Amino acid sequence: MTLQFSNLGFTYQKQASPIIQNFYLTVEKGDIIAIKGASGTGKTTLFRLLLGFEKWSVGNITFHGKTLQNETLEQFRNQTTWLPQDLDLGEGSLEEVFYFPFNFKNNKAKKPSQSDAEIVFDFLGLKEISWNAEFRSLSTGQRQRVGIALCHFLDKDILLLDEPTSALDAVSKEKVKELLFHKNKIILSATHDSWWLDQCTKIVEL
Amino acid sequence: MSISDLHWGQLALGLLILVIPLYILWKFKTDLISKTLIAVARMILQLVFVGYYLEYLFKYDNPWVNLAWIFVMVLVADFATLDRSELKRKKGLFISVFAATFIGLLLIDFFFLQFIIQLPNIMEAQYLIPITGMILGNCLRGNIIGINDFYYNLTQHQERYCFFLASGATKKEALFPFFRTALKKSINPTLASMATIGLVSLPGMMTGQMLSGSSPLIAIKYQIMIMLAIFSGTLLCVYWGILFSQRFVFDIQDNFDKSILKENK
Repeated sequence: MTLQFSNLGFTYQKQASPIIQNFYLTVEKGDIIAIKGASGTGKTTLFRLLLGFEKWSVGNITFHGKTLQNETLEQFRNQTTWLPQDLDLGEGSLEEVFYFPFNFKNNKAKKPSQSDAEIVFDFLGLKEISWNAEFRSLSTGQRQRVGIALCHFLDKDILLLDEPTSALDAVSKEKVKELLFHKNKIILSATHDSWWLDQCTKIVEL
Repeated sequence: MSISDLHWGQLALGLLILVIPLYILWKFKTDLISKTLIAVARMILQLVFVGYYLEYLFKYDNPWVNLAWIFVMVLVADFATLDRSELKRKKGLFISVFAATFIGLLLIDFFFLQFIIQLPNIMEAQYLIPITGMILGNCLRGNIIGINDFYYNLTQHQERYCFFLASGATKKEALFPFFRTALKKSINPTLASMATIGLVSLPGMMTGQMLSGSSPLIAIKYQIMIMLAIFSGTLLCVYWGILFSQRFVFDIQDNFDKSILKENK
């Protein structure tokens, strides 16, 4: 499982200068990589390019040696979970929105029982939240931890984490690491957090 | 029992009642006097035109002319849907909404006229045109609410759609919650009116039938039928409208093309 960025460049419409330029990176299975950089340097954009939500202007991204588009992109999306900085799962109770991604054909087999999900929720400090609670009424930190639990249960080969610890305390961060860091995965995270940077095997500056 | 016809003079006299609302609007400086007069004038002109036209249509009663009239009605409704929504008048969207409404209407018409009323000729203008008009009016409202809500929500919550795609969803699976919300919103007004019909208000069609001499028991049967037709027709047209239009607003990588929205919202 290899992900390769070669001479990648991207410029947003109506912007004169590129937000990403001459970006090279090779990511192998087991890599835990932190993308570091100030706000507005293109960390989130890099994830959007990877997921095919934007089309790069220069260079290439390959997955298993093939350009990340069409069937390869579909295959990549099926092997990935992306945790945005502010997770929006929509309207509904925690139970409804948490289980929704497990209705997808690709994820059906991974659907956890309520008791299994509760064990992970407790571990992440979400014990006090009822399944009937409105997801939108949860705090940013709570939503972030629900997202972490989703990443754990979806159990994909590639994790794209956008500021995964921005609303978490030190204890929660340790737990996130324990839950998500596995040797057989690729973990790419965009972060400012120095503690998180120390946990990664490689740091790339944008 | 037959209805007593109104003379044009009587109708003109009826306009005198407008003095009351116009006075209230003037007293509260609402700036709605000219708008009201224009709306009343338009209403009269449009209805007079339709009245004469339908008189001819009912007399002539040619199936092709009837079908052509429905075609024109759907075409006007299609323009109105896109103009009153946040969507641009793009060819693909226009054709999708038109096809969804036209096919949906004909299907509902066919079911009720052929199997329920059991007309010997389902293209008979006296039945086909008013029933289609009643369903279409409600489909128009449903389409404006439903299609607009679907694309507006998708723009507002694009990150959510992207999150689902990036979690292994197909486009169809990722759009499911947006579909659900749009369908619920579009059908809510019809559901509310079905829940209160007969208690809070007497529906226009039933009132019209009773005024023209029908027994209330016949009138309610037609009203029940038309409410079922409106409910099913609206939901079907909105569902197909969204389904057909999707073909034109996503790229090969399932990304939503925001340029279909007016002023690039």
